[in-house]
Amino acid sequence: MPYLIIDNRHIQVPRGTTVIDAAERLGIMIPRFCYLKVLGAVGACRMCAVMFEAGPVKGLQMSCMVQAADGMRVSTTHPEAVAFRRQIIEWLMINHPHDCPVCDEGGHCLLQDETISGGHSRRRYTGAKRTYPDQDLGPLVQHEMNRCIQCYRCVRFYQEYAGYRDLGVMGIASRIYYGRFSDGALESPFSGNLIDICPTGVYTDRPSRFLARRWDLQRADSICLHCSLGCNTVAGAHYRAVIRQESRENVRVNGSFICDRGRYGHAYANLAERPRQSRLDGEPAGWREAAREAAARLKRIAAAAGHSAIAVLGSARNSLETQIMLRYLSHHAQWRPPRFFVNGSEARSTAAVVARLDSRLAAGLPDLEEADFLLAVGVDPVNDAPMLALAMRQAARKGAKIVVLDPRPVELPFAFDLLSAGLGDLPAALAVLVKTAVSQAGTDGCEAQEKAFLAALPGRVPDEKLQGQLGQAGGWLAASRRPAIICGSAIAGPELAGLAADLALLLQTGKTPSRLFYLLPGPNAFGAGLLQRGSRYFPSLLQDIEKGGVRALLVVENDPFFRYPDQDRLHSALGKLELLMVLDYLPSRAARAAHIFLPGATVFEAGGSFINNCGLLQYAAPVHEGGIPLAQVSGGSHPPRAHAPAPGSEKCPSAYEALLFLANELAIRPPTMDASPWSLLPEDFPGQAELLAHPYPTDGLQLLPRLSEAESLQTPVNLPTSGPAAGALTVLRVEQTFGSEELSCYAEPLRQLAGPPLALLHGADADRAGVRDGEQLCFEIGGEKVELALQVTNRMAPGQLIIPHHYALGRAACRLPAVVAQAELRGLTGQDSPDLPQAITES
Amino acid sequence: MTEKVLFLNQKFDRPATLEEYRENGGYGALALALEKYAPGQVCDLVAESGLRGRGGAGFPTGRKWLSFAGRKQGPRYVVPNTDEMEPGTFKDRVLVNCDPHLVLEGIILAAYAIQADQGIFFIRPSYEQDAQLIEGELNRAREAGYLGKNILGSDFSFDIEVHRSAGRYICGEASAQVRAIQGYRPNPRKMPGLHLTERGLWDQPTLVNNAETLACIPAIVSRGPQWFKKIARTPSGAGTKLFCVSGRVVRPGCYELPMGTPLREIIEQEAGGMLPGSEFKACLPGGASTRFLPKKQWEVPMDFESLKKIGHQLGTSSIIVFDHNTCLVAATINLLNFFVRESCGWCTPCRDGLPFMRHLLLEIEHGRGKEEYIPMLRSMAGQMRHAYCAFAPGAAEPVLGLLEYFEDEVREHLSRGKCPCRFSDAGGGFRRKQCLT
Amino acid sequence: MLPEEIRHRLETRIAASAHPRELVVDVMYELQNHYGFLNDVALREVAELLQLTPLEVEELATFYDFIYRRPVGRFVLHVCDGVVCWMFEEQSALDYICKLLGVAPGETTPDGQFTVLPTVCVGYCDHAPAMLINGKLYGPLTPEFIDRTLEELRSISCDLVLCR
Repeated sequence: MPYLIIDNRHIQVPRGTTVIDAAERLGIMIPRFCYLKVLGAVGACRMCAVMFEAGPVKGLQMSCMVQAADGMRVSTTHPEAVAFRRQIIEWLMINHPHDCPVCDEGGHCLLQDETISGGHSRRRYTGAKRTYPDQDLGPLVQHEMNRCIQCYRCVRFYQEYAGYRDLGVMGIASRIYYGRFSDGALESPFSGNLIDICPTGVYTDRPSRFLARRWDLQRADSICLHCSLGCNTVAGAHYRAVIRQESRENVRVNGSFICDRGRYGHAYANLAERPRQSRLDGEPAGWREAAREAAARLKRIAAAAGHSAIAVLGSARNSLETQIMLRYLSHHAQWRPPRFFVNGSEARSTAAVVARLDSRLAAGLPDLEEADFLLAVGVDPVNDAPMLALAMRQAARKGAKIVVLDPRPVELPFAFDLLSAGLGDLPAALAVLVKTAVSQAGTDGCEAQEKAFLAALPGRVPDEKLQGQLGQAGGWLAASRRPAIICGSAIAGPELAGLAADLALLLQTGKTPSRLFYLLPGPNAFGAGLLQRGSRYFPSLLQDIEKGGVRALLVVENDPFFRYPDQDRLHSALGKLELLMVLDYLPSRAARAAHIFLPGATVFEAGGSFINNCGLLQYAAPVHEGGIPLAQVSGGSHPPRAHAPAPGSEKCPSAYEALLFLANELAIRPPTMDASPWSLLPEDFPGQAELLAHPYPTDGLQLLPRLSEAESLQTPVNLPTSGPAAGALTVLRVEQTFGSEELSCYAEPLRQLAGPPLALLHGADADRAGVRDGEQLCFEIGGEKVELALQVTNRMAPGQLIIPHHYALGRAACRLPAVVAQAELRGLTGQDSPDLPQAITES
Repeated sequence: MTEKVLFLNQKFDRPATLEEYRENGGYGALALALEKYAPGQVCDLVAESGLRGRGGAGFPTGRKWLSFAGRKQGPRYVVPNTDEMEPGTFKDRVLVNCDPHLVLEGIILAAYAIQADQGIFFIRPSYEQDAQLIEGELNRAREAGYLGKNILGSDFSFDIEVHRSAGRYICGEASAQVRAIQGYRPNPRKMPGLHLTERGLWDQPTLVNNAETLACIPAIVSRGPQWFKKIARTPSGAGTKLFCVSGRVVRPGCYELPMGTPLREIIEQEAGGMLPGSEFKACLPGGASTRFLPKKQWEVPMDFESLKKIGHQLGTSSIIVFDHNTCLVAATINLLNFFVRESCGWCTPCRDGLPFMRHLLLEIEHGRGKEEYIPMLRSMAGQMRHAYCAFAPGAAEPVLGLLEYFEDEVREHLSRGKCPCRFSDAGGGFRRKQCLT
Repeated sequence: MLPEEIRHRLETRIAASAHPRELVVDVMYELQNHYGFLNDVALREVAELLQLTPLEVEELATFYDFIYRRPVGRFVLHVCDGVVCWMFEEQSALDYICKLLGVAPGETTPDGQFTVLPTVCVGYCDHAPAMLINGKLYGPLTPEFIDRTLEELRSISCDLVLCR
């Protein structure tokens, strides 16, 4: 641990720490432009010069390029260093335009800050400034090259860190240009980070362009809700609209960056069609009036049909506080235990993950970055949870072998091996791979139970090519030191989640101590998984509604119609309810169908806690009061002049507060009205004591048990190894980065990047079916058309028809068949007889 | 008659052939080394000879080679640097055209010494004719068993290929050259504590040496390091050196002379003195990246240490001679034009500072100069030493020399409000400016 | 479109290379010589051959001065403006050539014969003032020498390509 002196202050830092970082630990922010801790030091801008007065290094040196060493005495205020840094500023400013008044970076511009603090105020350069044309980089990022100070941060992040290859540096000398080969949207789903890391206004946030100065924003720490990773953000609101999000550093989760889905997905909070008005039987009503009436009806139904005639549906996007309140309410009112998932497979997968994940096994994103072998199964990282791909890339950059086992044509910004296996083959293929590895590494540490488990694993898959690939990958796994298994939940069922845990445990007993990383269906799916214990799944609830056993349904921040396969059945079932009460902030179909509707508050207004896929509880602070954005109230005039509160513009209570009100009306009283939600937690909830002591831990609270109590190494029986019958294609509905996730799919800039709705098919299947790449598939379901552009690729498993969810697809797309006969495909392109498949019911 | 090491086989009108090279003992050093010396011993010989890099920086060659001991195994590379884009420098072109096999033998010996597998001959585009010459001679050397598998029956295997550059001065910088070869943008790259000899081409140990440096190796091996060292005329020098003399002298050209030969002797005797009507005003002693050297210093022995002692650098030992009629402000602008255009654009001082300096000099040259420009220029030129690589400090050298030795001339521009020179006939049909004073 | 013969030759070289990216300058030269300059079509072909993106090729193509992204004439005159040549003519050789051909520096004659490019020291200082024509060194330049040389070049029917 080197011990050094910076500006007469002593500090000891870990070996390998650069002097610029050591100074930062002391609170001394040495000026810098090119240096970013995550990107490493390159010494390009020469701004971080300091004077080394004593020790192994002498003289004026760049503090980013020198590692701290014993005996160093460093001065950041030495006159020579100050003069040099001022000179650097002057050089950088000779070409920089004085357009700060119209630059969106103004006010949080590093160049502006350093120019002022460096004391450069008089222009001595009398020559012309060089200018550049700008490029259209797509709907997210605005390009203004004249402002560039050539620090290389953008290209180093974009190419080296994130692995995308369409933005770079061209030209030479003082004419270098950062941009694309030609105009066009940036291909990286991490492009928004350019805005955060650019030290000046070359890349600015395009959707919020010219809307507000950063200092005028109401800003607060938030959590991204657009997948289960729980990346940290800072959200900024202005004139009652959330207009901008930035990445917030959290070394336990997302590191320094966020993806574009997370950055730009917030538009749902500002929608003009967002429901703001409480409704009672279709008529506008006061919020309290509607809530009181709901309580009255619930009492009547309970009296007439019993408490169990009332059911509750929360969601994986509820805050934990809301979920707790739902559980508390239904428990004390003796209603049915709350459900949180409409999709039964998601509910069971989440249950399996929550049961199995413990701190022995769990890896976080930073652990994945350090792994030397990653096996991703049932995951398409860029589409399911983009930041996972970025973490995997960091492992790849350090030399990790990476294998993806999935039916989809997975693409990642680094070299990896794609092992294409049909959805049904995933568990068996995973088992074969791990069995190979354990057998190769030796079973010395294994006990009898583990050996029996190993023996019971299948040793082969039918597909010879896949078998060979699995054998090779098994060898890599056996040779690795820090492997991890990444297991998805979007397409594969609970069996895969359980098997992955068993296999990781098996590996831990051997020589390759594998860690485990799950993705979950939703930002607080983990919380739902913890609180859904003892409840049955939504499909059974639906049956009970149909049979009349359930007469009232309270839906909080969920839309059962969103992806439910049999929309007609759901519609008629919900139609039978005496009371459908919906509380939500989305303009959902369920909201429209509700007898009583209460407008909800988004995370930006209500805040709330969310447990991410790794069991980390994190708190999102409220950002603003909410209400109808002024831009909508004032009809878009600039500046907005109509400030008067419009109907529905008052603050919406959070779902937690609304439920508390309801509970009060139902005479179910928590100890006190302002009691901490944590005091309502069930006894067995992990971390309760810590939460009561420190209600909102700033850097998150890890809730995983040290050891899971679930029974492990349950010998798998009958891992399926075959897909659908010959000639049939399994229809696989999958996520895509933009335009499919429930909240972010409302964001117009992301919709522009979503591309057209697609159907993906393997080349062999396409040949057999007589269809070609680029043709249009048209399903006609219930009078509605579902049109998909066919994309043929050999980088996917045969036997599947992969159809990404897409905002532009209507409700009919929920009813796409689960299996399509190969022979029918040609007809769907309109070439032969339109012998359409029947929509089938939920599997 | 001075000893020739590099121009032993000089034919003046054509390159020496393989046969001619062999007749004079060529490839004998290679045979000797393969038979008698372990690789480490060759490194020791070179270290003992006092040979220092001829590319400009003057790093002790033996020390560089010895650092390969203990480096990781796997492929190792030798990169003979023939980028030679320093203005005023043409010695490698002359050398390759004089005796290509001498260079090749030097490369092979270096490869043997550091146990390299592959050589990559890096050649600038304006030397395309030389690239073709080398490719032909490589084939001859291969046929004769000096290259390829099991060279001369030993268990040492090595081969060389030619890499054609597409231009740019920065490609002469070793780490930039390595990136250029790999097909990346040739920005110099430094990693704290990591040298190319550890992580170079494709992250493997890589030796980048100037072609002239490598051409000295056969003589060191065959005639001994002490012999080589003693050729020099100064105790601090070693061996001979190729001096390129250009500018306003009677016989511009490339001359092989002992290290430490006095500058005046090179100009007056070898290069035949100044052109008729020209008087020596200043020279750049080592290419464009060195300081103007005034007449009062021209007795200096041309070796690394002697020049350093009086505040100059040997650089590439390319002596560019300016006469009394040359405006040195204009000459400096020309030099800065070169550096501004060729900067790779990586670091701020070079990319943005050099254009600023050029702008100040242009203002002075065109009579718009201000008194404050002189301290500004001096300060900026001084700050260049904190740039990323040696490019910008080199670019600042002529400016520093101008201000150190010819400040009066700069001030005359200020006081007259214009350049004190006017256009006149330069001879050869072109016109040039001439000083009025 | 690249002729099959060239494509095949390049593909064979690339396939045999342990580090195909090393060949990017050679491939750019090859396509440049075929098309006359590295046009967008050629640039995309380079990218495709080496499995790079067009941007990655452009990053290199715009760095080097011997890769031409704009059309050049049959003969490219790299007129040295190094300090030694400057000492003898202070740009008047460049001025002379430009005047003779009726073009500005960087331009190509309307008949597509000559492109004039000022360039850094070409390493022919012992024959200053000097220039490079399609990779061949010429010097010392005088007005008469330039007249004669350009006249000779006009009459050459075959392509003289060393390195444009």
